[in-house]
Amino acid sequence: MMSRHTLAVVRGLALAGLGLVGFLTCVLTVVGAMLVVPYPLAVSAMMGLRDLNCRLAGRWGGVAIDAQSRPVVPRPQRRDDGWFAHDKQLYRSPVVPAFLLRLQSLSKDNSLTRLWYWLLLTPLVGGLAVLVPPALVVGGPVAAIQFLPGTASRVAVAVLAVAAGFALAPAMLRVHALWTRLLVPPPTSWWRTSPVALWFSRRWNATWHGGGLAGLSFAAFGGFLLNLLAAAVSWGGLIPVASGVTRVVVDSYRRWARLWTGADLSDPYRPEPAPPMPDSEGNYRVGRSLYERKETAVRAQRHAWIRADPATWRDLLWMALAPIPSIVGVIPATLVSFGFFGLVWQVLWWAPWAVPIGLITGTWVTPWYAWYAGRLIAPGLDALPDWTSVPIGLALTAVGLLLALPSLRLRAFFDRLLLNPTKAARLAQRVQRLTETRADAVDAQAAELRRIERDLHDGAQARLVAVGLGLAAIDRLFESDPVTARRLLAQARESSATALTELRDLVRGIHPPVLAERGLVDAVRAVALDTPLPVDVAVELDGRLDPAVETAAYFAVCEALTNAVRHAQAQRIAIVLRHHNGVLTIIVTDDGRGGAEADRGSGLHGLRRRLGTFDGILELSSPRGGPTVLTMEIPCALFSPKTSTS
Amino acid sequence: MRIVLAEDLHILRDGLVMLLEAEGFEIAAAVSSGPELRLALTRERPDVAVVDVRLPPSYTDEGLQAALEARREIPGLPVLVLSQHVEQLYARELLADGAGAIGYLLKDRVVNADQFIEAVRRVAAGGTAMDPEVIAKLLTTNAHDVPIARLTPREREVLELMAQGRSNAAIATRLFLSESAVGKHTAAIFAKLDLPPSDDDNRRVRAVLTYLNHT
Repeated sequence: MMSRHTLAVVRGLALAGLGLVGFLTCVLTVVGAMLVVPYPLAVSAMMGLRDLNCRLAGRWGGVAIDAQSRPVVPRPQRRDDGWFAHDKQLYRSPVVPAFLLRLQSLSKDNSLTRLWYWLLLTPLVGGLAVLVPPALVVGGPVAAIQFLPGTASRVAVAVLAVAAGFALAPAMLRVHALWTRLLVPPPTSWWRTSPVALWFSRRWNATWHGGGLAGLSFAAFGGFLLNLLAAAVSWGGLIPVASGVTRVVVDSYRRWARLWTGADLSDPYRPEPAPPMPDSEGNYRVGRSLYERKETAVRAQRHAWIRADPATWRDLLWMALAPIPSIVGVIPATLVSFGFFGLVWQVLWWAPWAVPIGLITGTWVTPWYAWYAGRLIAPGLDALPDWTSVPIGLALTAVGLLLALPSLRLRAFFDRLLLNPTKAARLAQRVQRLTETRADAVDAQAAELRRIERDLHDGAQARLVAVGLGLAAIDRLFESDPVTARRLLAQARESSATALTELRDLVRGIHPPVLAERGLVDAVRAVALDTPLPVDVAVELDGRLDPAVETAAYFAVCEALTNAVRHAQAQRIAIVLRHHNGVLTIIVTDDGRGGAEADRGSGLHGLRRRLGTFDGILELSSPRGGPTVLTMEIPCALFSPKTSTS
Repeated sequence: MRIVLAEDLHILRDGLVMLLEAEGFEIAAAVSSGPELRLALTRERPDVAVVDVRLPPSYTDEGLQAALEARREIPGLPVLVLSQHVEQLYARELLADGAGAIGYLLKDRVVNADQFIEAVRRVAAGGTAMDPEVIAKLLTTNAHDVPIARLTPREREVLELMAQGRSNAAIATRLFLSESAVGKHTAAIFAKLDLPPSDDDNRRVRAVLTYLNHT
């Protein structure tokens, strides 16, 4: 019993020392970060210290703390040519790429922020707690001897202090452990998913998103002024040039607004025209003008395109009016900034920096300086005492948060009015897309027919001619030379068998028999069985699809399987077929080496184009080292399963 | 021996009827569509049915479905399925009930009349007749499979022929071995595929099934 308490005092001292070391490591890490090269090492030291601390705190304080996972750093992969690639740069040795990968993984590691907080604050909180018992045990008697008169009172106070130190020690260890558990493991999901947290975080995010969009809006207003200037100096002639530039600003606004307000803003511009072709005299025609140089013609065409596009003028109008919703948009951010960070947070964080300054220099900085700034603007506030600034700040924050969502909605409404494509623009884009995919489809079809023609011409057709010739010869030799006739007969039979095999292969390439007989699901199962790797097929497809879609989907699966077997060096493949909400989804996953690119591999590129005919899309995720996940989606209708044909 | 024949192409049906009658089979019914086949199979109860996979009116795998249905009703009804193409998927479905008496051949094999007739007889007697192309596909796609990988090349050859439905004597002639040597190989195959002892024919079917079930 006694030894447990004694041990607890010593352990507390050790933990307090460890906390101090942690604090110093932070300082070293800051230096390491500035020098870059030792930074990963310093972070490793920080993590090691954290893990040691967690173990000790857990064992001594009796609070279980799960071991924290270190980030998994990918190893640099040697390319086929023996070099190591990182971020489009080649290295001969793996050391530099490995270092860069490590830096990258550290920069993405969320647990580092918590680690920093914990190491910086431990000497003030957990470390201070475990320091109390040793301080009482040692400092109590010393202070008693120093400051108290009379032996009796000295002894009494010293004994009391020592006893209190020993008694408190285990509890303080527990406090330290609880503190560690509070900060080191990631916050439990209970808090993050609680309705209160969700309510709060939605408004909190909306506040800053509103502020950010307001900033972009003001930049766009600058773009409007640029257009105005261009129009003024050139009687409107330079507007296409200026609009070409400001379009970038508006487009980036559109992107962020899509992300932050969830507004459905799509690209409103007309498709860019194809570059002009020279006429018989070598001139380029754009509208009613002829140009000698291609570059000039392209520029003129681009300007005509921008000028004729209604979206250009709608953009201009939006830029001119953008400050209006932005003034409303910055109110929540301003209220929260001033109310929370100025009046509340500032006061809470005053002590750690102002107290040392006050102690050292003797000058005490007021914790209320944002409040004083406010009083300068509104002298009437002088009547209120300083401390009221905290509740007032909280009230301002609450008002700001409550206004955040409505103001963002107002902005989204305004944006939808002017930034979205008009109906005509949408149709123009659709026509463009249909023209492209139709051309692709026709090309593919024509190529396919040519291939079939060639295969038939060189294959089955030629063999049947040979069979015919052979039969004619047999007819002639039937009586005169039966031995040769018999040999020719065997040859003819073999030729016809080969022709059949070739025709079978050809048919498989055009429209596989299983697809015709059983539909997509069994056709995929059949091709999975014919693949020389284990393939798992999972299906949620109750019915048949349009035959054209089935064929496209089938060949898409075949292509994906071929890629996985031939290029990915996979060991196992999984196929998911699913029809949900009018969309057929096909997911092909393999555990191969990854690194596939849809643009580089012509197979995947062709696949994307073929799916494009059906408005289908293809997405590829293939990090180096795998796994490769190929997702294809085709919008199509599902017909109810055919009932038995009997 | 009574046969029900289902084939929609007139010329091929007549050819098959001629061929089978010349070999002394009795054609109980020669039909050209799925519904007719269903009726003929249940009414005639033939000794063996020779069935084309694709039949009208739907031109899907109607013949196959009719044959499978009939086998559910009349367990072990010998069926020889003919098709323009062979699929592991269909082979697996045909063999799934484990009752044997199943044949699955490419239509091209009809050209070799002797082998075709032998296959019909074998199926009628409760054996199997798998097309070499199915077996070849099985072997290439299952090369990594553990029980199959344990076989020696020679044993694999024997299994291949066994899966086609050939007897030990036939395998022996084909591979230039003595019949007792083939017997030793088959015993080794049964052991390596963990097939429990039972009568030899049944085990031969199960050896093929082991192939299929490990895909």
